[in-house]
Amino acid sequence: MTTLWDTTGSAVVKELAAQRRTGGAVMSGVALTLVVVADEGRVAEAEQAATAAAEVHPCRLLIVVRRQIEAPVPRLDAEVQIGGRLGPGESVVMRMYGRLGLHAESVVLPLLAADAPVVTWWHETPPEQIARDALGVIADRRITDSSMAPDPVAALRNRAHDYYPGDTDITWTRSTPWRATLASTLDSVSGRRGEPVRVLGGRVEGDPDNATAQLVAGWLSSRCGCPIEVVPSPRKNGPRGIDSVTLQLDQGEEVRLQDDRKGGAVIDQPFRPESVVALPDRSLGELIGEELRRLDPDEPYSEALEAVTGVRGLSDRPACRDHVWFDPMRPEQTTEPRDVRGETAGGSATAHAAPTVPDVPGDTDEVALSGEHDSPADDSEEQAAVQSPAAPSAKKAGAAAAKKAGTR
Amino acid sequence: MPTNPLRDPRDRRLPRVPEPCALVVFGITGDLSRKKLLPAVYDLANRGLLPTNFALLGFARRDWGDVEFSELARSAAREHARTPWREEVWERLANSVRFVQGSFDDDDAFDELASNLAELEGSHGIGGNAAFYLSIPPALFPTVLKQMQRTGMAESTPDRWRRVVVEKPFGTDLASSRQLNELVDSVFTADDVFRIDHYLGKETVQNLLALRFANTLFEPLWNGHHVDSVQITMAEDVGIGGRAGFYEKTGAARDVLQNHLLQLLALTAMEEPVEFSAEEIRTEKLKVLRAVSVPDVADMDRFAIRGQYQQGWLAGQRATGYQQEEGVSPDSTTETYAAVRLGVETRRWAGVPFYLRTGKRLPRRVTEIALVFKRAPHLPFAPTDTEELGHNQLVIRVQPDEGVTLKFGSKVPGSVMEVRDVAMDFLYGEQFTEASPEAYERLLLDVLLGDATLFPRNAEVEASWAVIDPLEEFWANTTPHPYRAGEWGPRAADAMLEAEGRAWRRP
Repeated sequence: MTTLWDTTGSAVVKELAAQRRTGGAVMSGVALTLVVVADEGRVAEAEQAATAAAEVHPCRLLIVVRRQIEAPVPRLDAEVQIGGRLGPGESVVMRMYGRLGLHAESVVLPLLAADAPVVTWWHETPPEQIARDALGVIADRRITDSSMAPDPVAALRNRAHDYYPGDTDITWTRSTPWRATLASTLDSVSGRRGEPVRVLGGRVEGDPDNATAQLVAGWLSSRCGCPIEVVPSPRKNGPRGIDSVTLQLDQGEEVRLQDDRKGGAVIDQPFRPESVVALPDRSLGELIGEELRRLDPDEPYSEALEAVTGVRGLSDRPACRDHVWFDPMRPEQTTEPRDVRGETAGGSATAHAAPTVPDVPGDTDEVALSGEHDSPADDSEEQAAVQSPAAPSAKKAGAAAAKKAGTR
Repeated sequence: MPTNPLRDPRDRRLPRVPEPCALVVFGITGDLSRKKLLPAVYDLANRGLLPTNFALLGFARRDWGDVEFSELARSAAREHARTPWREEVWERLANSVRFVQGSFDDDDAFDELASNLAELEGSHGIGGNAAFYLSIPPALFPTVLKQMQRTGMAESTPDRWRRVVVEKPFGTDLASSRQLNELVDSVFTADDVFRIDHYLGKETVQNLLALRFANTLFEPLWNGHHVDSVQITMAEDVGIGGRAGFYEKTGAARDVLQNHLLQLLALTAMEEPVEFSAEEIRTEKLKVLRAVSVPDVADMDRFAIRGQYQQGWLAGQRATGYQQEEGVSPDSTTETYAAVRLGVETRRWAGVPFYLRTGKRLPRRVTEIALVFKRAPHLPFAPTDTEELGHNQLVIRVQPDEGVTLKFGSKVPGSVMEVRDVAMDFLYGEQFTEASPEAYERLLLDVLLGDATLFPRNAEVEASWAVIDPLEEFWANTTPHPYRAGEWGPRAADAMLEAEGRAWRRP
């Protein structure tokens, strides 16, 4: 493992190539690049999950941590390794300070595995609008986690407004065991009858504020063509927020699945004794592993999302986004069209962030306005500025300069 | 109209889960059951791939109760499972595990088994579906099958399915395999018989179909115009272990060549199936197997070589010779190595030799399929530039290090032109093996789902025996060539390829 302090994107590319040459047995089949965007506090968690996922799907792992956007001097610290703590493949953990965080793609783009799909996963409060994060725009598949938002169901609604095919959410991944069990329960009903089953109605009992419970209800509604809602249950619920699911079938039958609080669910169906099926809680790594298995747009998810939020035509939207330049420190210069959707208070909370921090020379207003923002010239100038020991907010700058790896 | 509104072909997160059913294992206390079957059942449960209503019934001669059996099953599953151990998953599974004690000719025991099954139908809601796994010596098949017929356990009806899983060896020659097939098919219908060849459950073997039929790159080269020869190798470093009794009667050709190697040959040489379905794939495989030709009788001594290992050194340890193994007759002529040159008489493959070899006590355990391409018809370089250039090769490594290697010529860095072979590697497994299901897991799931894609059909088995029988006939009353344990087979096998200007690839 090599740590590069106060470095540049090209130094990281060089270091990765150098390690690949000297690394001996190097994994050859990289199927995709996984870009993880994480808060500093959640880096360890994200690393662990991404490593577990990388063991199942050979991938290059790029972890981006944005810190102190308001810092006047941008800086990049990077940790490059092949094999070891972060699984068998190549991985780079990048900490980006200052306005570099707004141009993270300038570092990430040259690090992507050639001609392989890119998956971006935000292990933090999901972005208000994915188009504002260039790391989402370059991705073929985007994974958010609405359960990390203060109000998960509102976050889910926001995901529907912001949806483009190829988006997915961990709260949906969490629902797979429940959905699989529901589907196989109806299989056994139709197997017994020897004829089709129809669902006439039903309800999900659980936590209406839980996005997974909402998505399961939405999925059932979209598949069965009848409204199925989440009704509050008095019992406490796990991360999936579901206590029980009841479905009314044709021929006057009913099936019911009840969480048994022991990592399983009890299935109650007509003409069959009660049976218990395992519904183990899965680790974050397993969830990400499931997400990486398929990289095509997930239509059942978009249909469930439509049913939950009432937003229509999600899968008809175009498959790729255009980057919308957004500067959290100068929200008024944002180029995005102020349209009807998705204008909530969340965006303006960051907008009030201290506008007094002096701007960095080189990161000019024209750039901000035109949306062209990865000129390497800026980078070099900024790097020169960082070298100055007077740079106030790059913490440990002196120590970092001293420790600077000799790999450049 | 879809039978289940919650099933959506686009929803590929939801696993394929079989209908409620029971799995009945005969010979549950055997080696295979403990090392492969029970762990596979646990792994399937742990991955959420077993139906909600599932029961496991073990049948064996030992005098055990449900509790003792459950304990054995638990320790076997725990020791050999590939997925992490979750006590709650096992407990749920253990609730539906039963043990029936009895010998196979005991009518009472089978009546008990039948009533147990009927009881589970109600209490565990398995709905009458059951798969019977015959993990027993083939000699006992007739007894067990007759018992199943007597108790009516083998009948599939529109409301329920009954399937049977048979392990190799499927007979010892064409006549006996026909007999066996007739017997099994008289009790079960042909569609309900699943013959397990665990090689076909391996990911790489399935990947071979993807490699051939999902890409445009390889298909144009996949014929006699470009392919010089094909080598299929399955080498084992172990000896016969404790299976002397079985092996003495069988030998390498019947044990491995007849099933694994010929199946690999069929998958390599077959035409594109009309669609990726059990029926169509089996049809194409069968066509190839029927087109396989053996060497002329006059050439047999050159192109059908068998060998037997002598004492030697393997992996730094002394290994005894085959005839000195416990339970083996000191003048045994059973082969532990077989190498043959086969042809495939189709337009695609006419004139391309298929060299198949298998053996025990070879330097390492490896299975691979190598397509050796013809040399370029013209080389614009000076002859000295390409002295080191060999044939291009495409190698499908089945195990270990599952993956694909492409070998081609490349310029040696430097101021002079010199071309030498390099290898480009695609590694399918190793770090990722945990994720890909174990062969038994996959095959067991397919049996419960009724998907016969990866199972050879009885016609294929018979066609394979038709290839082996003339070889065995020629080998009868001959003595195998000796080779030292720890070397790549007898000298005669090398001579077989040298005679045609080729050499075995060192896997």
